[in-house]
Amino acid sequence: MDSAGDNRRSVEYGTDPKTAQPKGRTDRVKYLFIGPAVIWVLAFTIFPLLYALYTSFYTYRFGQRLGFVGLDNFVRLFGDVNLLSSLRVTLIFVVGTVATEMILGVGLALLLNREMRGKNVTRGIATLPLFATPVAVGYLAITLYYEQDGPINSLISALGGRDVPWLSDPVWALVAVILVDIWQWTPFVFLVTLSGLQSLSSELYDAARVDGASSLQNLRFLTLPLLAPLLWLILLLRLVEAFRVFDIPVSLTLGGPGRATEVYSLYTYRTAMRFFDHGYAAAQGFLLLVIVMLIVSVIFSRVRGLYEEG
Amino acid sequence: MRLVYRAGLWLVTVLALVWVLFPFYWAFLNSIKTPDETFQPTWIPFLQFQPTLEHWRSQLATPEIRHALLNSTIISIGAATIALLLGTLAAYALARFRFKRPSNGALTTWFISQRVLPPVMFVTPFFLLMRQFGLLDSVLALVLLNATFTLPFAVIILSQTFRELPRELEEAALVDGASYFQSFLSIVLPLTLPGLAATWIICMAFSWNEFLFALSLTSKSAIPMPVIIAGAEHTRGVQFWFVGVNVLLTMLVPIVLALLAQRYIIRGLTLGALKG
Repeated sequence: MDSAGDNRRSVEYGTDPKTAQPKGRTDRVKYLFIGPAVIWVLAFTIFPLLYALYTSFYTYRFGQRLGFVGLDNFVRLFGDVNLLSSLRVTLIFVVGTVATEMILGVGLALLLNREMRGKNVTRGIATLPLFATPVAVGYLAITLYYEQDGPINSLISALGGRDVPWLSDPVWALVAVILVDIWQWTPFVFLVTLSGLQSLSSELYDAARVDGASSLQNLRFLTLPLLAPLLWLILLLRLVEAFRVFDIPVSLTLGGPGRATEVYSLYTYRTAMRFFDHGYAAAQGFLLLVIVMLIVSVIFSRVRGLYEEG
Repeated sequence: MRLVYRAGLWLVTVLALVWVLFPFYWAFLNSIKTPDETFQPTWIPFLQFQPTLEHWRSQLATPEIRHALLNSTIISIGAATIALLLGTLAAYALARFRFKRPSNGALTTWFISQRVLPPVMFVTPFFLLMRQFGLLDSVLALVLLNATFTLPFAVIILSQTFRELPRELEEAALVDGASYFQSFLSIVLPLTLPGLAATWIICMAFSWNEFLFALSLTSKSAIPMPVIIAGAEHTRGVQFWFVGVNVLLTMLVPIVLALLAQRYIIRGLTLGALKG
């Protein structure tokens, strides 16, 4: 993964005859500019990561390091039923949210990609969920899902349905968590797809119209292929984010009822901060990293083009 | 037929907007209802119930809430400022100089790839390290962490902003004998001020919303808003009227910030792939 970013336009000043700067000067200056950020990331990202790796080889009890156990913490991963259950919950969550958000978001963007009144207001409103504090959204959702006469169940019974046990039933609780994530992140897919659509050249569509293409053919043979790299990027970003979900299940259901909504991050958080089993929590973190990296490596090649154009 | 299509479009838009806006409205309703009324499905203030500002008054007078608001403010501003300082310098280097090993592209990808790491894998190392350095339950720890996690956004958004700036002005200054740093300070920064401000604002909003590390590393004096709403619900049970106030108090800041930086949001959220 090394050709993202824009190489071509970063012409070195020192080589420009007009500026005629001595080459040594550029070389030193550029490291002064980029150095602080690199050192910061090394200190606060790479070092903690290595420290986590070190931690994962030790056993901890109540937060105190006891002894070196080699790969024991990693071996534990494969026999842990609760970890497996959290992985299952996370996978259902990821598939349920990302698929729905992609379909709804892209669909709405295609539908509303036209000149209409109040476009900026619509965009502004779509921005609101993206920046609403996720924990706060979770607590707000408790008041929406309230089972007796809460607004959602009121609406359902007004439409002739039966009250849904949103937060007390294991299956519905997971649905409730998924719905909140859909509420929060569909606007992201919508907004990004919309600005992608608006960056497409209208000349292509004029040419297609001359050739007598139907709007369905336009979509199939023009819009979707042109938009594909961007859609892959949206998918990638959503997948990465969905796998790390934490705030909403914590605030809305606390992982319950039972372990029905205990997602991976919540289980790892509890391993670390409730049981202070830091070695094992570190090992869990690396397993999640491996899963996410697998997904990234599958999708990244399709996205690379977006960055190369600068 | 065309009319039906337009009506359908209009209907979809309205439904989507109601879907997005209703939760905010419901939080607002709960915040101005008396405790008994919060459990009633009433929708219209004055007509169906008599609104009250009592919960807003009592929550804003609570010392813990005020302290959490202050903590959140310090954390957001501190973290965003560090991210902006480091990010501006690094972004300028990526936009204007050529690196060989590693290349500019590799460096950019390296900064972006920070965003792929699952945050939960940092809970254990940060907790142990902060304990080692005596920084548990300190605002400083959260400033440092949020600066770290928002830095990639700053680098990516700003390196594109700098690339869009024509380089002739800087070159003229260099020919006239200005140093790289002088031309950076007196030409580049003033011309990209809107982008810098927007980046700062977006980093602030992200830091304000951060929950996982705030929950892991604070216990009392450094607790910010997202953690205090979580704690309040667990000790007192869910009191919808206070939930309404707290939820809105917490959300309002990042939402207002986001609306201020509207133009740069797409760019930030797609890690620079779209100029939006």
